[in-house]
Amino acid sequence: MLESVFLLPLFTGLIALFLPVKLGRIVLVVTGLLHLQLTILNLLHPLRPMAPGYFGVAPAGLLVLLVTSFIFVFIAWYAVFYMREQEMESEPIFIGCMLLFLGTMSMAALAEHPMVLWIAIEATTLVSAPLIFINRSKRAIEATWKYVLICSVGIALALLGFFFITLSMDQVGLDVPLTFSSLNSTARQLDPLWLKTGCIFVLIGFGTKMGLAPMHTWLPDAHSEAPSPASALLSGALLNCAFLGIYKVHTLMVLAGLGEFSGSLLIGFGLFSILMAGIFILRQPDYKRLLAYSSVENMGVIAFGVGIGGLALYGAMLHLIHHSLIKSSLFLSAGNLVLGFGTKLAAKCGGMVRLLPRTFVGFFGGFIGISGLPPFGLFLSELLIILGAFQTGHPLAAGLFIASLILVLAGLVQIVTAMSFGPCEEEILVPEQLLRIVPPYGLLLSSVVLSLWMPDALYRIIVDTISIIGGTIHG
Amino acid sequence: MFTGINVILVLILLSVLLSLGSSRMMALVKIMALQGAMVSCAGLLLEQQGSTGHSGIFFFQVMLLVKGALIPGLLYLAVTRVAIKREVEPIIGYHASLLTGLGLILLSVYITGRLHLSLAGDYALVLITAVTTLGGGLFLMMSRTKAITQVIGYLMLENGIYLVGASLTKKTHNLSLVEFGILLDLLVGVMIMGIILHNINRTFDDVDTAYLEQLKD
Repeated sequence: MLESVFLLPLFTGLIALFLPVKLGRIVLVVTGLLHLQLTILNLLHPLRPMAPGYFGVAPAGLLVLLVTSFIFVFIAWYAVFYMREQEMESEPIFIGCMLLFLGTMSMAALAEHPMVLWIAIEATTLVSAPLIFINRSKRAIEATWKYVLICSVGIALALLGFFFITLSMDQVGLDVPLTFSSLNSTARQLDPLWLKTGCIFVLIGFGTKMGLAPMHTWLPDAHSEAPSPASALLSGALLNCAFLGIYKVHTLMVLAGLGEFSGSLLIGFGLFSILMAGIFILRQPDYKRLLAYSSVENMGVIAFGVGIGGLALYGAMLHLIHHSLIKSSLFLSAGNLVLGFGTKLAAKCGGMVRLLPRTFVGFFGGFIGISGLPPFGLFLSELLIILGAFQTGHPLAAGLFIASLILVLAGLVQIVTAMSFGPCEEEILVPEQLLRIVPPYGLLLSSVVLSLWMPDALYRIIVDTISIIGGTIHG
Repeated sequence: MFTGINVILVLILLSVLLSLGSSRMMALVKIMALQGAMVSCAGLLLEQQGSTGHSGIFFFQVMLLVKGALIPGLLYLAVTRVAIKREVEPIIGYHASLLTGLGLILLSVYITGRLHLSLAGDYALVLITAVTTLGGGLFLMMSRTKAITQVIGYLMLENGIYLVGASLTKKTHNLSLVEFGILLDLLVGVMIMGIILHNINRTFDDVDTAYLEQLKD
């Protein structure tokens, strides 16, 4: 049954809360592997849902689920060896919440009923709060408080948005079950005014969670204060789930003939996010905050690509996959840096090349990837988005897009050069260890492999996802 | 006219105004208990005008338990633990807050009038109450600095959104299972916020969010 995909991690997560540490670590890795296996099985032969009104397999959800499950395996592996070095106040809670987090994200990916999607996304906020909060430092407490409060209020607005979308059904006396698929098939009959209102609220609500500027304020704090495995999950998996909510509503809007409206909103939010991130990345002293702002930027790129549509839509989906792989790899490398240097300030990490050479390779490779340079996939996806923007007649937006990307690149280059080749002052605290190097390398490598060769099944999902709303791969 | 529902709606409006004007934490918690219970009742009464099902009654009881007892209970625990009796320096004063509350009611009447929805007379009043509650919650979150008051503001916002849903959408969509999920999220949310609150208090010796200002660019 389909529900087992999210019930498995939810169940093991609850158990792991009470298990001794060593056993908990095994459960974490094994559950990750089982989850990936279930996901791939589901990809090849779609499982049947027990409650078809609430859960179902949609291509967009499958894509998000696959990405989440894939990076979770690497992050779980890394987390086990990270926790050996780093004292944590309560490791069972960390392990349990990571699994619960995986469960709620999978639930969001498979949700078919708008309210179920809402419940799952709100639940991701709640179970990930302890992950950020685990060290109980003053800064972690502040970050968690902002995260929980801002996201809860944001998501509450998304609930209001879903009520309005329901109202757009009732206003015209439509009597179909409230699921995304039946909404999509009757989209033309829905009341356009209320649909638009609902779309705005959902966009602002889930946009808060996705980290679109100006609602992104919680994101740099939470991503930088959380332990690195949790940051990698937040950035690589959680943001995609929030995006999924927006994407589903955008699909509905396009099918209802209002794609222009939601598309231009997405373009606006996207450009603004990239620009804001660019401004904050310049002269950013803290490298984990830098990575967090880069997530804001990349979410902006995805929103922009979806808003443009056509070829750019394909680019946006590629961007989603590669951003998750590269960014989680970078956060894991950043975890090695934090262990090695004991600081998050870039200025104190000079001499990374000499002291932590293997981490340097991963970190530098990740930065090349995240800056959108070949051979990593973000190069291809950003190129496709720019091409798409010109093709669909958005030259001004494309120009702004390119300018903002250059701003981001300038900020990234500045900080990475300083960190990699700057003067070396410090001795390292925890030496490198092969087992903590392999996961970030693996994630980077999969990005390179995916940009050269893409499995048929994955390609089919992307095409299925975008063809519903007129995305193409042929331009 | 169903006078029962009108009485309840007026009580909810009153609770919003009271919460904006009160400085004592304990009073705020009691007001929230009243508001939670009234919102649950409003949900039940609105449903009765349509069709009543067994699940509706059952859900009413669960909701009353969660919104009227469990959540206020958690808040009560939080207030006694942190030993803070009143909000001393709100960002916006109590008289100004009350005035804003009254303004909010007028605004809600205006908004509801402009919506051109074919609502029956009672439902218009529900919508006015809902929008006021929603706005009042947001206002409370922004104008107070104590973390507990912000949680209370969030709860009020949720109450408002629930009322919007109850007044606007047909009950047939709101399957009980889904509403249970929303309630569960709310309950766990308040629990998590309570835990963080406890830790804020332990670390900073206060629950004032003005202390939370280290992280910025």
